[in-house]
Amino acid sequence: MGKVYTGFGYWDVGAWILFFAVAAFYILWLRAQGRSDYKKGTDQDEIYWSGNEVPEDGAEITVPASSAYWGFRKALEPFYKGLLGMHTGLPADVVGYYVLTVAVLAVFVLLV
Amino acid sequence: MNWNEHFPALLLIIPLFGAFLAPICSLGGKMARNILLVAASFLTLVVAFLLWRNVLANGIQYYVMGGENFRLALPSGMALPVRIILEVDAFSAFMALCGSIAAFAGALFSVNYMNRFSGQSRFTSLYLLLATGMLGMMITGDLFNFFIFIEISSIASFGLIAFWRDKPSAIEASLKYTLVSQVGSMLILIAAGSLYGKYNALNMAALGSVITMGTMEKLALVFLVGSLAMKCGAFPMHMWLPDAYAEAPTGVTCLLVAVSQASLYGLMRVCFSIYGVAMGSTFVPWMIIIFGLASMFFGVSMAVVQHDIKRLMGYHSVSQVGYMLLGLGVGLLVLGDARGMADYGFTAIKGGVFHVFNYTMYKALLFLTAGALYYATGKKDLNEMGGLARRMPYTTFMFVIAAAAISGLPPFNGFVSKLLIYESSFAVHPSLAVVALLTSVLTLASFVKVFQTAFLGPEKNSLLSVQEVPPAMLLGMVVLTAAILGATLFPSWTLSNLVEPAARALVDQSGYIGAIVGGGM
Repeated sequence: MGKVYTGFGYWDVGAWILFFAVAAFYILWLRAQGRSDYKKGTDQDEIYWSGNEVPEDGAEITVPASSAYWGFRKALEPFYKGLLGMHTGLPADVVGYYVLTVAVLAVFVLLV
Repeated sequence: MNWNEHFPALLLIIPLFGAFLAPICSLGGKMARNILLVAASFLTLVVAFLLWRNVLANGIQYYVMGGENFRLALPSGMALPVRIILEVDAFSAFMALCGSIAAFAGALFSVNYMNRFSGQSRFTSLYLLLATGMLGMMITGDLFNFFIFIEISSIASFGLIAFWRDKPSAIEASLKYTLVSQVGSMLILIAAGSLYGKYNALNMAALGSVITMGTMEKLALVFLVGSLAMKCGAFPMHMWLPDAYAEAPTGVTCLLVAVSQASLYGLMRVCFSIYGVAMGSTFVPWMIIIFGLASMFFGVSMAVVQHDIKRLMGYHSVSQVGYMLLGLGVGLLVLGDARGMADYGFTAIKGGVFHVFNYTMYKALLFLTAGALYYATGKKDLNEMGGLARRMPYTTFMFVIAAAAISGLPPFNGFVSKLLIYESSFAVHPSLAVVALLTSVLTLASFVKVFQTAFLGPEKNSLLSVQEVPPAMLLGMVVLTAAILGATLFPSWTLSNLVEPAARALVDQSGYIGAIVGGGM
């Protein structure tokens, strides 16, 4: 396998793989302890959806990607407003940010 | 004839010959063209591997183009090398190997992926031309020649990004890249011309042996660093990148990932091999570190809120480039400080170089899985996907591996390179490591979202007829998966055989210069 010394400590991939193997074994064992009265293909297989009828189209019961981390975005709304605002997609802005960055760097490098 | 000596030239000749052969081969039908694409990419990979092995065994290889003797870098009586010289040290060979693996995987994937579209003769030509430009950037020892190869790769990229020319978004993405790329190329040309005007040399080793810092050299450095940072997608000059990566055919995006690394290579070559300790001030290293931090954080912040899978991955490219800039910037910061270099600088460079390999493999694989989803479903919007793990088990498996690797989850290879970067950047200032760690958390969050929305959950009615992608596409992904798992399971072998020789070559400015100009000028 391999042990990597970082200069500050070390990293042993073998130890992690062993850990995952043990964890996987434990999870599978735990799963095997499941209810003995479970019968496949019966009502027990039905999805419980808060007591409501499960819609046929899966699209109706999934959270779309555009709504994922809604709270995170909401909490950081001012940050995202600024960040999305600078991504106008306009070719002039794409070139402008590059030219501006190089110009600022040139001024600083000459001053330092 | 000893073929070993010709590997640097062969590395460029094979894809270039393939590019010009493609229109003729196309007359023989689709099969002949596909065989050409895969065979040229595979042969290039074989040569890159042999060249890498040769460099590790025998040291720096160079190849003089157009001279009477291809081993005569500095003819007697001449103060400067005047020919175009390909100079391949362990860092160049490492980069060429990474690029060739991505090019081969992209070619395999494209065989089926492009089958549905017309214009495949142009595609094959441009793809191989792009590979030539990328490899040329990685092995040339001449600054003007580097500019030429940038132009070759840029022109091929413009055509490939706008390959689906009936799509306005593809034309727009190509136009943006063309505009910003051409302004960048002009600045690179001005920098090369300025250095040539003063030092009468274009060879990087020759320039490195005579350069002293003055106003012109400082401006040339800013032009080169700024332009190459833009070409590899550093914030805030990254805006062309998500558009270009999203619109290009997926096999091309896979190769574009490696092409962006060629620009990063150029940036490091300029900083370490041409300027090196002559840079004096720590302003440029800090500038690279700040580019790295900004790219990491703002790139991943943008990725978290995307729902077009390829754009999301495009923003992650910006973020991942930040890690490499951080690692290599920290190394550059202590280039003239032997103690700092021994304490943490070299670890940072190793982390940066290892991340180049990891990033090229897992990011290329992620783009291929995104392409596989598009091929199978016709959709790029994550909102319209769901439950695909049942229909596309192999793609799902490979996506999970790549996503875990990019998120830096132990025991995957991404964790090892990030660990080296975290620990070494912490030694400079803890806040650098905090930004890097935070970026990793957001990367994981972003890929959990992709995994959950595209692969898990109930199947959507519109996707009930979806099937796994054809074998050649899977094979392209398998190549990259194997590389990721290899680096994951054998990190110490990867570090000591691939990464450390490359990192050592990068910091060995005198070795790079000495191979061409010998005892000095």
